[in-house]
Amino acid sequence: MRHSALTSPASRVAGIVGKVLAYLVMGIFALMTISPIVWLILNSFKSTTEYRLNKVGLPREWIFVNYPGAWKIGEFDKLIGNSVIYTLGATMGIIFFAILAGFAFAKIRSKATPLIYGSFVIGILLSIQSLMVPLFIEVSQLDKLLGDLFQLIGLAKASDFHFFYNSRFGVLLIYIGSGLPVAIYLCTEYIKSIPDALVEAARIDGAGYFRIFRGIVLPMSVPIATTVAILNITGLWNEFALINILVSKTGLKSLPLGVFRFSGALTADYGKQFAALVIGMAPMLLFYMIFRKQIAKGVAAGAVKG
Amino acid sequence: MPRGIYKGAEERRAYWAMVLPAFLLYLLVLAFPILLSIILSLSNFNGGRMFGGDPWRITGFQQYAKLVTDPQFWLALKNNVYIVLISVFGQLPLGFIFAYLIYRKIVKFGEFWQGVLYMPSIISVIVIGIMWKIIFSPSGLIADMMNGWYAGSFSRAIAPVFNVPGGFTVTDGTLRQIIAASDPAALSIFTNPVAELKDLILSYPTGELPVLKGDLVNLLARKWSPDFLAKPDLAMIPIMFVVLWCWTGMYLILFLANMQKIDVQIIEAARIDGASEGQVMGRIVLPSLSGVIVNAAILCIAGSLNSFALIFAMTGGGPGRVTQLLSIYMYQNAFIGSPDYPLANAIALAIVIFSFILIGLTKVAEKRYGGRE
Repeated sequence: MRHSALTSPASRVAGIVGKVLAYLVMGIFALMTISPIVWLILNSFKSTTEYRLNKVGLPREWIFVNYPGAWKIGEFDKLIGNSVIYTLGATMGIIFFAILAGFAFAKIRSKATPLIYGSFVIGILLSIQSLMVPLFIEVSQLDKLLGDLFQLIGLAKASDFHFFYNSRFGVLLIYIGSGLPVAIYLCTEYIKSIPDALVEAARIDGAGYFRIFRGIVLPMSVPIATTVAILNITGLWNEFALINILVSKTGLKSLPLGVFRFSGALTADYGKQFAALVIGMAPMLLFYMIFRKQIAKGVAAGAVKG
Repeated sequence: MPRGIYKGAEERRAYWAMVLPAFLLYLLVLAFPILLSIILSLSNFNGGRMFGGDPWRITGFQQYAKLVTDPQFWLALKNNVYIVLISVFGQLPLGFIFAYLIYRKIVKFGEFWQGVLYMPSIISVIVIGIMWKIIFSPSGLIADMMNGWYAGSFSRAIAPVFNVPGGFTVTDGTLRQIIAASDPAALSIFTNPVAELKDLILSYPTGELPVLKGDLVNLLARKWSPDFLAKPDLAMIPIMFVVLWCWTGMYLILFLANMQKIDVQIIEAARIDGASEGQVMGRIVLPSLSGVIVNAAILCIAGSLNSFALIFAMTGGGPGRVTQLLSIYMYQNAFIGSPDYPLANAIALAIVIFSFILIGLTKVAEKRYGGRE
């Protein structure tokens, strides 16, 4: 009697119908997900003329010139180089500062912790994108003030001094700041799970906090550092809103900025346009294929808003 | 244990040395901009130097008064609400259902589905926005496919007229058949459709039936031309579709990872006791994920209120501002044409406040209806 629900013919039919339905829904959604991307890749191998006449089918004639053409016009070598600098630089900065602060919050007692740590946790809720206007005004005012200062000392001319705007350093600082709230939350919670006894034993042996950080906390935080890295690499590589207002010099632009500029400049040349889009998504797709498991884990761990 | 005054000092030094770099960056990137947006939204500062430039002063709440009377603002807010709704009531349930199907192994190859559905979330939203812009454009893939379909159904509808053994004759009956299959909008070029169409068809030489058919299709079949400018609410549909397309996979992954933490034995026991899949989902999986779902909803609300890059690349708020969002509206006021910094800052603050209100409401809802953990 106990197995009745699983074995009665009616429920078995219902189970089969349910399975078919499940596969159908899943299949349709997966097909809808993948087909525009495949379509985009296929069309990057058509000439613009062929695209105009044949939008749906496979290329009748496979053409590869779109890629070198788009690569050269879009200066993708520079864009990808910049993106690598921004992404890796900021990610390493975020990890370092987050583990450092997380160690202090988790293992050193201080009356300031509730206030400062609390402000980071509230910061998780804030999206910097909504603050791009005040952020832009802030950094341009700071640039002007610093420019005045440097002119006063005689190091630079105030008019062409930029510390934040149009500067790799400025982008890195702002990216690091924007990634810190989530990273600090994750790292603090993780470091709390490191036994206090470990830190105390090292203290008794006379180790300073920075030695403990280097010798114990940093090596033990590798798993959470990986999660933070995965989250930030995918986020920062694709970041657009902030760098769009921080950088106007072509030589400093990142991949998403370059792809966006490309689409504005060459709207009619679909062949190259598609090639540029494929170049724009290829690095991340590759990253995804290699680190799919870690990314899935990182996303699940990093969804901590609130 | 070496306890003493010395240790306290060292401890404090180390603490601040570790916390301060991060905290200063936090102030620079998050705290000061919020403070600045409060001050500037109440002022008349509009560029130049804040210190030592043209004097500016606090002028009060007039920017906010301007906002609430600005139809652009309400349109942007409405569109933002659409995106919040499709995210919370589209992405989350779909993501949950897909995660459940994979988790309970109702569909096989879970890794594969997961891998495919998450893929859009990893691609730059700029690439995705431009891709969909091209697909939805009047000369794009959707238009092409729809026009092909319309042309096909039109040819099929008029085929009986021409496939008469021994050639067809132009009678009022056949003309009416053609007209019935035509797009009313295309017919509006005629003042007297039956008579004029008759003249047109008779003007073709007898041997050129295929040419005639082709021309009739071009002339009379329906064309796909959604008039987004005239129907602003329609213009949000492609955007909502892309939002759903893009991020459902993220919630699938999030929910699946948390489902895998549930004790399998509970579910197996329930199944053996005769619980259906629906009961397992409603009574076991859903309650044990309630906290995660609330978190996901908060993530979703915050994300969709701030959504910028995807729609910026896809429509730029157009055509004619019908897909305007708060963030794009803010961007345009600050960076396009002559800047209006006070208004842009007021919008920035409005977005922050809306986010907190919605997140607060979600928390309240959690307290009242859920949170059985």
